[in-house]
Amino acid sequence: MPSRTETPPSIKPSARRALNTFRVWNRKGHYYLGLYFLFFVWLFAFTGLLLNHSWKFAEFWPNRRVYTFERRVEVPATDSDVDRARALMMRLGIKGEIEWTAARPDSTVFEFRVNRPGHNTSVTAYPEEGRVVVEQTETNAWGVTRVLHTFTGLRAGDDRNDRDWFLTVLWVLSMDAVSIGLVIMVFSGWYLWYRLPAKRNLGGAALMLGIAACAMFIFGLRWTY
Amino acid sequence: MRKRFNVVTRDLHLYIGLFLSPFVLVFAISVFYLVHARGEREAAVLGRVISNLAIPDELARQSGRDQVNTVRPLLDRLGVRGEVSSIRHTPKDHRLVIQVVIPGRETTVDLNLQSHAAVISERNTGVPDALIHLHKMPGPHNASIRVNSLYMRIWRWLADAATYGLFFLTFSGIYLWAILRAERRVGAVLLCVGAISFFGLVYAISY
Repeated sequence: MPSRTETPPSIKPSARRALNTFRVWNRKGHYYLGLYFLFFVWLFAFTGLLLNHSWKFAEFWPNRRVYTFERRVEVPATDSDVDRARALMMRLGIKGEIEWTAARPDSTVFEFRVNRPGHNTSVTAYPEEGRVVVEQTETNAWGVTRVLHTFTGLRAGDDRNDRDWFLTVLWVLSMDAVSIGLVIMVFSGWYLWYRLPAKRNLGGAALMLGIAACAMFIFGLRWTY
Repeated sequence: MRKRFNVVTRDLHLYIGLFLSPFVLVFAISVFYLVHARGEREAAVLGRVISNLAIPDELARQSGRDQVNTVRPLLDRLGVRGEVSSIRHTPKDHRLVIQVVIPGRETTVDLNLQSHAAVISERNTGVPDALIHLHKMPGPHNASIRVNSLYMRIWRWLADAATYGLFFLTFSGIYLWAILRAERRVGAVLLCVGAISFFGLVYAISY
């Protein structure tokens, strides 16, 4: 008597081959993806805990170092503010994601911030005087680690800022890739479980419990509260 | 003995993975909304106006958790439930604006401390916002008042359990891969490539 997991004999040989190839690669893909994204998953999981718990040992803001310096630099005149900021950053040796902090009522001052994990720089340029005041804030490794979790170059509801540093784009792409990888791993895991008839009942119960808990939070609270 | 250990590890990996898989989906899918969506928000719908409210005198003087504890019975009387996410006091206008959130819905209670009236407005923020909310909660902001509702206490516990469970899944996954001799070479190469891309990117972005 054939087992429930065997391919029915009515399936064409070519389709059976394709199904077998899919099964092999589904299994391989499950652990290949897991191994490739292992360090990313560890980082996002660990920093998730750091963000939720504010543990004392991982404090970084009270230990930050702040440096302020002033330079005489000619502030270049360019077509766009982003190009101007970039040219200024190059002259000052600053790299990172540009953030426009506020509307500028005073046109004689050119202000922006530059952020990257562990480094926040505030640049205030006075083009007419040819000088720039720079305030750099540096945090320790805990600060770097925590910011990596949230470093996307954008904030919800903020239309003034856009991603303008290629490493921010690359980091965001890696966040997307990790998420896609995890979604694929979940589906491949479900298929691997489905192929084990002896584990279906208990596995199904565990899966249903997880789905019920999540559905309760995503949809159910609105109805019950 | 070793065979038994392998079987137990594989079963735990399977069952814990199945239970956690919806949580992993919640955290993974919400990343796309968090990272890419700029979010046009639905306008708040002005709801009820309630007058002659008994507002405790100390409410305006309090802050942090004490203020949340004082405001909670008032919110219960108004039928507003959820996590108090912020309380903003504007003494000039004698107003206290309380934001109460549950995944997918945001309620604003605008209390007038002088006239003892409250305006309650509600905004349905939908499933994407519910996913974003769950992804970010409890989070590092407003730590002094955060986790002031039952659902947030349960969610914090579940989010922690999901994270520790994910660590278990990665360690047990490594073990289950390592005992498959035929897959060691390719797996080791992918592990190294993953490590190089991870540490390379982290180094480039932060040093």
